Amino acid sequence: MIERRDPSHPSQPPPIGRVVATEQKPATPHQFHFWTANETSIGIGAIVRVEGLGAGDSGRVVYGVVTDGFAYSDLATPLHDVVGAEGDPAKAAEHPTVRQEIRLWTAAVLRQTPEEPLQPVPLGAVHVASDVDVAQALRMDAYLGGAQPTAIPVGLYTSGGLEAPVYVDADFLLGPEAAHLNISGVSGLATKTSAVEFLLASIFQHFPPHKGRVAAVCFNVKGPDLCFLDRPGTLQDEDRRRYERLGVEPEPFQRVRYFAPFKADGVNLNTLRTHPDLVGDVEPLVWGLREVLDYAEVLLNRDDIDAKADAFIDFLADRVVDREFEDGFGGVHRVVTFADLERLFRSIFDGLELASRGGDSWRTHHIATMRKVRNRLANISTRCKGLVTDDGPSNDLPWGRFDDRTVYVVDVANVDPLGQDLVFARVVSQLRERLEHRDLGVDAVVVFVDELNKYAPADGPETYVKKMLLDISERGRYLGLVLFGAEQFRSQVHRRVVGNAGTVVFGRMDADELATPGYQVLSPAIKIKLATLPIGELMVRHPHFTQPIFVRFPRPAVLRGRDGVERYPPAADLPFEDAVARQLVKLDRRVRPNQVKDVIADRREEDVRRALAHTRQSRPQDVLAYFKKQLGGRVAAVPAAARESVAPLDPISEEPY
Amino acid sequence: MTASASWVEAVVAAGAVPASHVPDASLGRGDLEEFTGADAIEDPDLRVHALNDARPLRPAAVCVLDGIEQWRVVGYGGITPIVRAHAAAAIRRRGPDRRLRTVAEATQEVAITRLDRLPASVRRALETAGVPVLEFPAEDAGQPARALAAARVEVQKARAALERRLAEERLHLLAADEWLVVDGVLSDSPALSEHPRALGVVKSHGAQYFEGAELERALTLPDGHRTGVFRPRARGARRDIYSWYVRLWPWEGNDLLYGLLRVEARAHPDTLALAAPIAAWMRAERAPVATPDRRWDRLLYPIHDVETYLRARAPSDLTSPPASRIPHPGARLPRTAS
Repeated sequence: MIERRDPSHPSQPPPIGRVVATEQKPATPHQFHFWTANETSIGIGAIVRVEGLGAGDSGRVVYGVVTDGFAYSDLATPLHDVVGAEGDPAKAAEHPTVRQEIRLWTAAVLRQTPEEPLQPVPLGAVHVASDVDVAQALRMDAYLGGAQPTAIPVGLYTSGGLEAPVYVDADFLLGPEAAHLNISGVSGLATKTSAVEFLLASIFQHFPPHKGRVAAVCFNVKGPDLCFLDRPGTLQDEDRRRYERLGVEPEPFQRVRYFAPFKADGVNLNTLRTHPDLVGDVEPLVWGLREVLDYAEVLLNRDDIDAKADAFIDFLADRVVDREFEDGFGGVHRVVTFADLERLFRSIFDGLELASRGGDSWRTHHIATMRKVRNRLANISTRCKGLVTDDGPSNDLPWGRFDDRTVYVVDVANVDPLGQDLVFARVVSQLRERLEHRDLGVDAVVVFVDELNKYAPADGPETYVKKMLLDISERGRYLGLVLFGAEQFRSQVHRRVVGNAGTVVFGRMDADELATPGYQVLSPAIKIKLATLPIGELMVRHPHFTQPIFVRFPRPAVLRGRDGVERYPPAADLPFEDAVARQLVKLDRRVRPNQVKDVIADRREEDVRRALAHTRQSRPQDVLAYFKKQLGGRVAAVPAAARESVAPLDPISEEPY
Repeated sequence: MTASASWVEAVVAAGAVPASHVPDASLGRGDLEEFTGADAIEDPDLRVHALNDARPLRPAAVCVLDGIEQWRVVGYGGITPIVRAHAAAAIRRRGPDRRLRTVAEATQEVAITRLDRLPASVRRALETAGVPVLEFPAEDAGQPARALAAARVEVQKARAALERRLAEERLHLLAADEWLVVDGVLSDSPALSEHPRALGVVKSHGAQYFEGAELERALTLPDGHRTGVFRPRARGARRDIYSWYVRLWPWEGNDLLYGLLRVEARAHPDTLALAAPIAAWMRAERAPVATPDRRWDRLLYPIHDVETYLRARAPSDLTSPPASRIPHPGARLPRTAS
């Protein structure tokens, strides 16, 4: 006779479930089913451990993540419930006995130990995963320990009261094994930006020393999202606790450099970080002819760039710009600025006209091609006014002098889309070239680009920017050029861009988006969870994880853009004189604004801007004196002397000829 | 190898001819088919009472007892069957959360045969196999059909003994507002038949207590009604109890016995006052319906639940024919080329 015994074992927590397998729902090497009590902490995304018992299965441990859940009772058909309640739903709740119910869960296998031979999951007891189990299940043990750990905290796995840190592998996040991160989610929840801000902080604090130096370049493409990364945000106790659990210091970024182009006036910065307390940190991003010419393709639409125009642009870039150039009509030019280039074009066209050689070509380039290129290039400085200067020196990111653990924010939120493309193309190209030559100053750069829907759409024309993003996605990991891309609709981003992202993060998703083919691998339950994810929770896919994992991350320790604008309201645009004075005062505290105003009174604005740019670039000891020198002496206006003229031959007619 | 399988293999190894036969009646208990008569207690003769105004009894907790028996002929010594039988009983308690949980359980596996009719080697193997052996009467051993019927009686006895033991143990643990509901009669046990909060629920009506007009009133009892309380006349060792019929579902359009339940309680004047509340309580137990069991019209869900529990825990190789050389009629045949 067998008496029933309490199955609980004193040495370990009791199991929370049991694997079951039927012919219809068998256990396989990749999936299994288990039941739990109705009152259970298990839910979608929970990680469980199955222990094999009995012959052949003893010692086998299988880790799985719950991907689906079912509940049903022993009710054969709904009609029987109607019969039992006599058609009255209220009576159904008064049944003296609650029907037997089952909570049946489907779990996808994360890992089996031993890994060989790979066999169906044993029909064993199911336990809630512990910290150690989570590390094992996600194969984090491979990079958490050892002589050179490469673990970077990404969030906390939470389930049933357990909170276990989840790490990604730096070798697979920032290269060289795999690289890139793609994050998608609906707009307006601040999840995407917050997640990237937290992850960057985590990378900066945990990037392994043996992998060298790392920096981040963030393109701020909308609003004030990334304008206050150096300012502390408001954290709650729960956030601090999560930071502590993850081993990340809850502090804003220590080193942030902001770059923003000017507005059309050439002196006020085109950014929302213009509060007097903060604007001093923002450096102008100003490019001249040299910087633009290499990326003319970005600015000219495809119809403009035929082979002839392309050849002429190359000629200008290789043979003309930044060198002494003889135009063939007796003139010698040194083309540095758009203004210089314009002078060269005029000289050539005048020369061709005066020479009357009957030809329409100059140095094998047809005059129509040259006129087209001239028109387009001349127009660039108009279309991108504030970013591209007709005259004067440029001001750029510190190429070759990138600092370790520094964020470089390039604020192009209010820049014309064409200008955004130019900024993006040039910055990324420079990063790639410098990293190729190992002379950037850091070994790896994270490039954060939001709105990938816009820059690398799945359909649409093959733009220069899209080609560049594809290039980073496919080859960046070898160079240490890592793309962190974000978008609302992953399905609308180019497949090769998202496909090359080793780490994929999902925030709350739109149901329509989840219905697209890219999400077919997810169970309906996972999709429902994704559609209702709260702020601060994400689903992470990483090469080491065989299944996506849900994690929670703390609010970033930086001031959110929305809050930043409230705390540091942007200043109104200053009048030209005040803006110039403020920039000079920023360079040298001894400068008095009134002095500046006196100096620039009655001077042409373009002369003032040029002098200011030179001063900013040179950063002299005596700023005001240098500025005056660059501005040149004031030439007094002299009335034109009356010229003797010959009276018309025919005084009646006003026609001089 | 399980213990049960080991003793079966031992007797087969000792010379018993292996067999695999599940008798039709092995999945449930048979009904007694007899007329015993009854004495009216509540009314001068058997009458019908409407339950419209009856307030159901609502005990704080209910313990529900049921048992199962399963058996299989696993071998023959000559023409004497060797039966492997499994009996089990359990009590599941329903508390304020309305969920049933097991509070007591007992199982027993026995071998049933007639030892002196077995070859000596088989007998020795069985006696030394460590399994309790029950013997059917010698007079039933000569004919296999009679032997199987006798084996069935032995299995039922084993199951009834388990049930009785669990029930009597539980009676001592019942709280003041806690009842014990037994699937079947109370009158087998003195303790049960005298307890103020023990109830027998009988859904098989092989035994009849009335004749003529009274029988007609009993069997055509309308839905939502009960009969008056009567006292079945004692049958053998059975104790004195009170009983009454309750109709759970309308029988019209079905069968006379459809939805008809007989309740047993202690033979005590207090039972008369409780007859209506208990009958109303039983009607309240109609839902949830105990489908897909085909007896759902009179099978109370808690009893169905206990039975489901026991069957889920019963040896899976007893009712399925794993070793039969001839496929079971319902078995899946191997696919062959056509």
